[in-house]
Amino acid sequence: MVQSLVTQQLATQQLAKMSSSDERIGDDQVKRLGQPRQRSDVPFFLAMGGLSSCFILLIVLMLAADVMFTSFADFRIALAKPEIQAAFKLTVMSCTVAAIASLLVAVPLGYLLSRYRFPGRWIVDTLVDIPIVLPPLVLGLSLLILFHLPIFGWELERWLRDDVGFGVTYQWPAVILAQFSVSCAFAVRTMRVTFDQIDPRAEDVARTLGCTRGQAFLIIAVPQAARGMVAAVTVAWARALGEFGPILVFAGATRMRTEVLSTTVFLELSVGELNSAVAVSLIMVMMAAIVLLVLRLLGAGPAT
Amino acid sequence: MNRTLIALASSVVLLVGLLFVLAGDSSRGSNTVGKSTSGTANSLVLFCAASNRAVMESIRVDYEQEFGTTIQIQYGPSQTLLSSIEVSGTGDLYLPADESFIEIGIEKSLIAEVLPLATMRAVVAVPRGNPKAIKTFDDLLRSDVRLVQASPDMAAISKVVKESLQASGKWDELAKATVAFRTNVNDVANDLVIGAADAGLVYDAVLSNYKDLEAVELDELSTVISNVSLGIVASSKQPQAALHFARYVAARDRGLLHYEKNGFVVKKGDVWKETPELTIFAGSMLRPAIDATIKAFEEREGIRVSRVYNGCGILVAQMKTGQHPDAYFACDKEFMKQVPDLFPESVDVSQNELVILVQKGNPKKISSLKDLGREGLRVGIGHEKQCAMGWLTQNTFREGGVQKEVMANVSVQTPSGDMLVNQMQTGSLDAAVAYLSNAAGAGDFLDAIQIQGLECSIAIQPLAIAADSPNAQTATRLFQRLCSPESQANFEAEGFRWQIDRKSEDGSIVGDSAIGDSAIGENEQ
Repeated sequence: MVQSLVTQQLATQQLAKMSSSDERIGDDQVKRLGQPRQRSDVPFFLAMGGLSSCFILLIVLMLAADVMFTSFADFRIALAKPEIQAAFKLTVMSCTVAAIASLLVAVPLGYLLSRYRFPGRWIVDTLVDIPIVLPPLVLGLSLLILFHLPIFGWELERWLRDDVGFGVTYQWPAVILAQFSVSCAFAVRTMRVTFDQIDPRAEDVARTLGCTRGQAFLIIAVPQAARGMVAAVTVAWARALGEFGPILVFAGATRMRTEVLSTTVFLELSVGELNSAVAVSLIMVMMAAIVLLVLRLLGAGPAT
Repeated sequence: MNRTLIALASSVVLLVGLLFVLAGDSSRGSNTVGKSTSGTANSLVLFCAASNRAVMESIRVDYEQEFGTTIQIQYGPSQTLLSSIEVSGTGDLYLPADESFIEIGIEKSLIAEVLPLATMRAVVAVPRGNPKAIKTFDDLLRSDVRLVQASPDMAAISKVVKESLQASGKWDELAKATVAFRTNVNDVANDLVIGAADAGLVYDAVLSNYKDLEAVELDELSTVISNVSLGIVASSKQPQAALHFARYVAARDRGLLHYEKNGFVVKKGDVWKETPELTIFAGSMLRPAIDATIKAFEEREGIRVSRVYNGCGILVAQMKTGQHPDAYFACDKEFMKQVPDLFPESVDVSQNELVILVQKGNPKKISSLKDLGREGLRVGIGHEKQCAMGWLTQNTFREGGVQKEVMANVSVQTPSGDMLVNQMQTGSLDAAVAYLSNAAGAGDFLDAIQIQGLECSIAIQPLAIAADSPNAQTATRLFQRLCSPESQANFEAEGFRWQIDRKSEDGSIVGDSAIGDSAIGENEQ
């Protein structure tokens, strides 16, 4: 541990020396730009704030409308339902599993795509984006087909169910797999941007000081990407929470079994239980707010 | 180790922990699956339109309590569920929002049996109190009325509305007045509740879930009616258990009570019995053609079918003395006509022709009806009063102008053709007039001589379901089974000619044919 910290410190110092000339140029530029202001900045802030507030206001108004549409009694009734309690529990667990699994895949994949130029890289880059652009129902259908396509008499789902004893389709693993398929794409995109923004010179320097690629990745790159990783988990978790189409097709919406909160909203809407649907929607909003807040606080802490 | 790596390692531990918890929950869930008292299955999967959730949940609770079989219900949009069945090949039952999806399922051979449950009628839904005073079709076209309806491409209700209104030339103006086409009727109703629309076309049954809405009935929509039916998935690994549950849902004193409570106009379903017993009366000649099909039906349904094979005259006499079978398969239409009160409507399934049976090689050189009048011949025929074959034989003799001569040689009259074949085999007869199907299994020792030029020598076999049968739906499924291509092959192998046309057969499956109407369509409560 001491050795790794020393290596990291040395690499950072070396990098600081190499970039000191750039910083001086930057200081000069700042001085030139720092002339006394001739006009007010108020219009700038008004324009920027005005445009920004459109979106913020829209969200606030939507939430306010939801709150006004429902009542506290609706919340109480919704939360008292065992089906919704089960859906809540499954939602929290499945989103967390999907988000962590997405991160575990996104970190190495994002790093590889950011740092290396390998044959077929553009194909991998394109494939990663496919779950983002694919219509959700198509993604669910594709998963369903994948697990049930007979290949010379062999079928993945049958094999998993009969030989491994672990069925996927219409079971809880299908919920996670459907969430993971989409969440992971967003997490990979986030991690790639994160690694793009981290200067690789620190890793190069670490290697000149005797680190292997693996050590440079673990000791230099990963700690610097901590905030990006929090962002990736956040995006993945949020994405998994809102996932609906693929879950409906691939995992179904069996009460107490594969029903998550997004499918609860659909089921409640389907029978005209608008109050209940809105109550569940607001529960999802609160869940998301709490989780995002916690993750943001984690992300704001020291990176290493 | 730096904090980030510690956090990563912790998240892996959390991941594994959560997976264990989920797997544990799942196995506990499967342990709670009860044992079926019917001994058929522990759990069934039902693909159910989300709009049927309220009614189906209450039926599920009752069924699980009564029989211990767990019903796993997958809710979703009807078309999505059908696609899931098609791709995954899983599931036992399918309950879409309306029957149009069942028809698609049948076309794709995804659905094997269909049990009609209820009907829904198209109405105009408006907010309670009808603030826009919508009373007529023209009110829907007013500029101050925001009308929404489901898309004709996606929902059966609008498809039928469109067809109905196109005939009267009113569809175009209605489409023009529609501010939005939604994917289903629930979206339409939700629009009204939220206040995004003033009127919408929905099924009346849907409104039972919406206390803030009320229905306005229009003459223009009075013919727009859709059926709700429950289908058995053809690839189900446990059809007996699936049909057990389906019969429960469709029983007038079980599942249909829930449907009625939820605002549906229910069909007159069967009276619930865990193992129903059907009785079918059938002419003796039909036994070889239908017995295997009935056995297969019994096995698939897990029920019993009592078969009474006899001469049709005897069967008619039994019915007239008070015995009421659930279905009757007559040897000829004439014997169906004799019990019109019990069987007001029937469908002609097959035909069978009379032939002259002679010993192998035709030692007596018999080539026509006239030859049967030759002196010294021993001729056997069916009994005129006891069986259709005998009645038909007398008609044929009369039409052929040989009745007097041949009857002089008749040494035996039996109630069925099988008995004549037996007597031919023992050599006690030189010739017999029987159905071609009677000779189907006797080709080794008998030859069949065709009777030329007499239309009346052909018997047509009609099948009917009793109007007062408490098991009309189950009997209708037996009828459908007897009309299936597999059954047709059996009939043809036994020397019968297939009479029922494909259109009628297909129609009967969805309850539109004469048999479907008699058994199902007119039994609405």
